Amino acid sequence: MKAKPDVSLDFTRRAWTKTAGMAAAGVAAGTASTLQSCARPARVASWAPVSIYRATAYSESLYDLVRRIIAEHDLNVRGKRVVLKPNLVEFDERTVINTNPKLVHAAMEAFRAAGAADVRIAEGPGHRRVTLDLAEAGGYFATVPEFESNFTDLNLDEITRVDLARPQSKLQSLYLPNTVLGCDLLVSMPKLKTHHWVGATLSMKNLFGLVPGGVYGWPKNVLHWAGIPECIADLHALFPRTFAIVDGIVAMEGNGPIQGTPRPAGVVVAGASPISVDATCCRIMGLDPRRISYLQLAAGERNLGEELIPQRGERIASVATRFAVLPSLEGLRLPV
Amino acid sequence: MTRYSEDLLGRQNADGGWSYHRGGSWTEPTCYALLALATDGAGHEPEVRRGMAWLGRCQRADGGFAPRESVPESTWLTALPLLLPSTPDGIDRKKAVTWVLAQTGLESGWANRLRWWMLGLEGDSINFDGWAWYPGTAAWVGPTALSILALEKLEKRGGVADSASLRKRIDQGRGFLLARRCRDGGWNHGSTRALGYDSDSYPETTGLALLALHGVKNPAIAQGLARGERHLAASRSSIASSWLRLGLGAHGGRNQVAADAGNLVPRRDGVMETALAALTDAAQAGRNPFLA
Repeated sequence: MKAKPDVSLDFTRRAWTKTAGMAAAGVAAGTASTLQSCARPARVASWAPVSIYRATAYSESLYDLVRRIIAEHDLNVRGKRVVLKPNLVEFDERTVINTNPKLVHAAMEAFRAAGAADVRIAEGPGHRRVTLDLAEAGGYFATVPEFESNFTDLNLDEITRVDLARPQSKLQSLYLPNTVLGCDLLVSMPKLKTHHWVGATLSMKNLFGLVPGGVYGWPKNVLHWAGIPECIADLHALFPRTFAIVDGIVAMEGNGPIQGTPRPAGVVVAGASPISVDATCCRIMGLDPRRISYLQLAAGERNLGEELIPQRGERIASVATRFAVLPSLEGLRLPV
Repeated sequence: MTRYSEDLLGRQNADGGWSYHRGGSWTEPTCYALLALATDGAGHEPEVRRGMAWLGRCQRADGGFAPRESVPESTWLTALPLLLPSTPDGIDRKKAVTWVLAQTGLESGWANRLRWWMLGLEGDSINFDGWAWYPGTAAWVGPTALSILALEKLEKRGGVADSASLRKRIDQGRGFLLARRCRDGGWNHGSTRALGYDSDSYPETTGLALLALHGVKNPAIAQGLARGERHLAASRSSIASSWLRLGLGAHGGRNQVAADAGNLVPRRDGVMETALAALTDAAQAGRNPFLA
């Protein structure tokens, strides 16, 4: 079973022909981050819907919330293998780096209740060698019963080499963990955070944790040298049907993804298209998804306009809050 | 036979290697298991021979070692087989040393140095050749520390053709480690500051870096030892405690604050936990397998 893909688009050939030359010129000039807004053809079609839910605390109500998400997005996981991929990076009690374990446990319970045959939590942190130390510090042992039995360290999992069909990065192939390659549904569960290099780290950037440290090391520096936005787009291309549930209850602003400041945003954002979920999260943070280069790369010719992403639940405007960003990233903000 | 050896022998895969926890064999746990068995002194010849044979199948034509038998690329793991006792075993150590000596982090290459110069950037972080996890990337604390330990072991054994190159790289590597020390005195993966913000150290990398810096006289070492002791006192992890005890012990008499076993989080030990515990016990008994 795979989550529903993005809906197909009604491609506007005339619009593309008119602007293709401009787009090509933009690429040559290295201005990919502004392509969509100024040169890419305006493709009139909608993305998979995104749900925005208010959630002000890591409380018991999250268990009902994730059940609602599964029902509203018509996720049929009966008899399927589900992998929940939180974002575990480092632990610092002064801030909120990692996906809160309460939300992850709520998802685990909800997918089990929906009939999933197996629900595993899996992560491959990029800095710390001993993943279980990080999980323990982050509260996963205390929150998730029998956590160790239900967890796979993706850094040390069995691996398979996967060729990249049309890589945007310098990579031609990647080793990836069999736990993820063999699952029926991958659920990316990032923390809503700003990112000091790429603007925002959300459900797509969260896929860096799939790349095995056992092969590439700690950090997975090969992804940095091959181009971070491009590698995010490549990983998304390998797992385009990932379902996303974003922990924006207490988010991070400023110098994310590690040294930023906690920012209560009071939302959980979910959907079957990581691109549309991440674009919506950017807007909630006050960032323009059309200026986030990896979203541009992954969306290709498709337009990330807000009007093309069906929203359920709360409206973006009702939950949006202007996140602090580093001065170098001020240019990513949504126009006022 | 120690309880550690008994445990390790029971976990050996049919192909001769060891996995991290369960499943297929990996080079890293196989090397640590073999090193731990070697410190036992009880022989274990058939098992060790099978382990070394598996390891030999991970050596690539360029002399380096891959993380698994199925992976064609040589990586940082090449340092680990060089820590093992030098016995006739089908491993080409000379080619492995050549591979290790040829590796440097991209950030200390001329192109990046030129870039820094043009941007007016300053700092020690590109002035020393460390080692990368994966070829064609930057150097980091973990692979640099292990490569130093491997090269130093070879230097002590003697018989290396180009001992001057060996010594130069050891010194460069130590310079790299000292330059990548966190402000709190310890070491993390190798990123001490991010966009002007100081990063904190980790227990396991602090222990490993201290081990690789044994014998170094530098004011930074005392701060590193103090940070390591604080990490050890708070450690709830078997692997982190082992690296810290190895690192602190390598500086002599500073490892008295052993982790309280009751403080450790009860977990299913993997091969790394068992092997490192065995190596730590050997070091505390006066035979540090990384340095002897």
